[in-house]
Amino acid sequence: MDVFGYLLNALTPFNLVLALVGVALGTVIGALPGLSATMAVAVLVPFTFTMDPAAGLIALGAIYTGAIYGGAYAAILVNTPGTPSAIATTFDGFPMAKRGDGGLAVSLATLASVSGGIVGAIALLLMAPPLAAVALAFGPTEYFWLAIFGLTLISALSVGNTMKGLIGACIGLFLSMVGVAVVGGDVRYTMDMQRFLAGVDLTSAIIGLYCIPVILDLVATRDPHLKPSETGGLRLAEGFGLAMKRKFNIIRSSIIGTVIGILPGAGGSIAGLVSYSEARRASDDPGSFGKGNPDGVVATEAANNATVGGGFIPTLVLGIPGTPPDAIILGALLVQGIKIGPTLFSNDAPVVYTFIWGLLIATVLMLPVGLLIGRYAYNSIIKVPKTLLAPTVALMTIIGSFAIHSNVEDAQLMVGLGVLAWILNRYGFQPSPIVLGLVLGSIAEQGFVQTWLIGNATQQLPGMFFNRPISIGIILAAVLTLAFPLWSEWKSRRRKQLEGSGSPLSDAGLNIPAAVKTRDVPSMVIAGLFILLGIWIYTLAGAMSPLGSVFPKTIAVALIGLSVVLIVQHLRRPAGEPGEGVAFDAGAKRRLALAAIMMGWVIFMPMLGFLVSSFIAFILIMLTANFEPRPPRTWAIWILAGAVICTGFWWLMANVLLLRMPIGLFF
Amino acid sequence: MKFNFATILAGVLAATPLAAQSVDDFPTKAMTYIIPFNAGGESDVSARFQQSEWEAVTGQQVVIQYQPGAGGAQAWSQLNSLPGDGYTIMGINMPHTILQPLAGSVGYATEDLTPVHYFHYTPNAVIVRKESEFETLEQLIEYAKANPGMATFAGSGSNSANHLASVQLNDAADIVTTYVPFTGTGPSITAILGGQTTAGFNYATSGVSQGDEIRILAVASEERMPAFPDVPTFKELGYDIVGGAYRGVAVPDSTSEEMRQKISDIVSEINSQPAFVEKMEGGGFVLTDVGYADMDEFVAARTEEYTEGAKALGIIE
Repeated sequence: MDVFGYLLNALTPFNLVLALVGVALGTVIGALPGLSATMAVAVLVPFTFTMDPAAGLIALGAIYTGAIYGGAYAAILVNTPGTPSAIATTFDGFPMAKRGDGGLAVSLATLASVSGGIVGAIALLLMAPPLAAVALAFGPTEYFWLAIFGLTLISALSVGNTMKGLIGACIGLFLSMVGVAVVGGDVRYTMDMQRFLAGVDLTSAIIGLYCIPVILDLVATRDPHLKPSETGGLRLAEGFGLAMKRKFNIIRSSIIGTVIGILPGAGGSIAGLVSYSEARRASDDPGSFGKGNPDGVVATEAANNATVGGGFIPTLVLGIPGTPPDAIILGALLVQGIKIGPTLFSNDAPVVYTFIWGLLIATVLMLPVGLLIGRYAYNSIIKVPKTLLAPTVALMTIIGSFAIHSNVEDAQLMVGLGVLAWILNRYGFQPSPIVLGLVLGSIAEQGFVQTWLIGNATQQLPGMFFNRPISIGIILAAVLTLAFPLWSEWKSRRRKQLEGSGSPLSDAGLNIPAAVKTRDVPSMVIAGLFILLGIWIYTLAGAMSPLGSVFPKTIAVALIGLSVVLIVQHLRRPAGEPGEGVAFDAGAKRRLALAAIMMGWVIFMPMLGFLVSSFIAFILIMLTANFEPRPPRTWAIWILAGAVICTGFWWLMANVLLLRMPIGLFF
Repeated sequence: MKFNFATILAGVLAATPLAAQSVDDFPTKAMTYIIPFNAGGESDVSARFQQSEWEAVTGQQVVIQYQPGAGGAQAWSQLNSLPGDGYTIMGINMPHTILQPLAGSVGYATEDLTPVHYFHYTPNAVIVRKESEFETLEQLIEYAKANPGMATFAGSGSNSANHLASVQLNDAADIVTTYVPFTGTGPSITAILGGQTTAGFNYATSGVSQGDEIRILAVASEERMPAFPDVPTFKELGYDIVGGAYRGVAVPDSTSEEMRQKISDIVSEINSQPAFVEKMEGGGFVLTDVGYADMDEFVAARTEEYTEGAKALGIIE
């Protein structure tokens, strides 16, 4: 039977139902930050033992692809990536939602995700064995340069604020080093606290860094969370038109996503970041990226869903899982008695091809399912009053960070980092460079140390780093990304000059003074603290093995150097107007109250139990976020809603996801 | 956990009395099996094999959860804070649980953990890709002798079973090689297949999944493995290297003696299920049957061996 013959096997009613339910379930799970595709797939694996292998795989694959897509909702609507794959979706998705284009952003994300998913699945269907060679062509050197390429995106993300962006990246890179080092085996920067042994959890950090500042701003003013859209709904027709205009972006991003998906250990977050960066470079208007350019959403979402199909390529062809959900699916196949590896496509062709068709069908079903769920999610975020929205989003952040390891310490870290991120953000240190450093740090470090070890052993160190064809390609792309903003700036200045040269009056135009940047004392204080942090990092690195200390020392030196430059920059600026300090207004009070409630919530959770602490915090945040007097009846309904929401999520976690819940005094 | 079940099922009951359950009835509900690693590794796969037999043997299901972090230390350091009612068990690995506490403060000591059964091990194996010039271990060792340090070995992690084996081989064959740690078996085998390193120390299980794409030059088992009848052991080749990663099941220290024995018996019984044996041996795992009664002796012997190894790795003086 040829490849297309298996399509009929995949089209049985049972398989279609599995694909439909899988995608819907996955989308909902993916939309909730912290509840990951890995978790959902892991819980459901035992149910597939009794199914036909292809049917079981279709269910798992549908959940996986749905979850990667669902991550976009939280990214667009509350600025929090529902899965790490959606990090770059926040850059433009949330600004779009803020200005009233949230529905449009959801439509675009859906169309892009479906397109990307289809490209990835078709690559898996038609070209899996040859493409698997890509996974093998990538050695430690290529991973190192890929991570560096990802980091160059910082220069684009922090235009006009490069120093602070780079310092933020160093902080992220430092956070990525905490814990037991894979390479070298050193225990680094845990301060002898057991909670840091496993390092800073990426998902908790993302939730804290992106979402806590949003909630803090949410309670501070009476403005609605998102500007309501003028036309309402998801504006599907408009979205379709915009997507058609961006077909090259979609195709490019889908291909990038497929290829990066093939690389084991790279994953959806890097695919999203790289294609975002490429979309920005290819754009006529790179300056609007990060301010709500639909191209940013399209690029990221097409790429991250393409990684699903791409990730299955090394999993099925080489037996090397591309991503954690792939690894679980691999285990499920082994239990079914199916031998993964080079012979799979010939020996078990019916299972493999039926599954791939099923994945393709699930991806197509994502369009109606996604638009339906997306419409509901968007409308709830728009319509739910702030008094109820703020505590619900806060509950989601706690659940998300807790659920990853059933560990309250992750939730504590999340709140701590979130408050810190809000303060840093206020003084111009944005969260995205920190997150980029955290995501890419360990890949960069491992790639670097492995390359160094191999290069040193074979006595061709420079060649290892700079003389491998794929590496050279990635380095060139990185240099282009770095140089592009400078070049385009130069070009536009040049154009102005040329235009001006024809007109005698033009000189005046060139002399308009730039907005005077004044000295910013808090930024200098923060930079001073970072210098101390850098010294601490460097000092502790002295006691580590040579392998484990290279990276920390490099980062420490960079952090200290950049912070000194920042302080010098500010010293050379004129002092600002005095008295523009922090006004302790009502908004600030509400923010402080919220931060205190969140802190108390995670501190007392182990003592009071999840349900009790969450319900108390829910009510307190409701009071904090309320701006108008309400009749007792409204309060009663809202409190009841709070109780239902808290209990519902508690039940879901304890009995469906089977997490170990903190029990404490009550339950 | 007990508590959650009661509340939810009834929806009204505040709590059911935690009546002392007789060990004979155990288990009367689903058990939780925590794997301290990510999915897809040998620990996960062997646990999934057990899971498919669990219901037939005990009458109840087992739920597998992952708690990865710090090479397993994250989960092991929390083992004793879990309820000791027998319903929560955790995978446990050696040499990890011996080398980690020696290497640094990881939140637990080897003797804090209560393994009740070690059910298999995956022998270390020297692996090259099929395009490699090396057909035998001797050729590889001669190359390493002629070019000190130039032979690179990919392996899974620092201070791991693979790392230990590479140091043991250096010692036994009097050669100098370079060990390159990767973040797990998957990335390490990718590096071998891609020709990034000369060879690799990996577990023999990889030989099954990779088929003809790789060649196994030697395995560190006592006898030749059923899955690879043509591959010599290190012992046959004159190097006294036997070992790999041992995997078992541990319980919180508050678990009663009877319950420990009971869980050990369950694991033991699963070990004798023909379908399980077939999957494990076919997959390159070597079954062991170290029950709770023999545990102290087994752990003591391994501790001695790995403490020697730790000196060779430079972890301790």
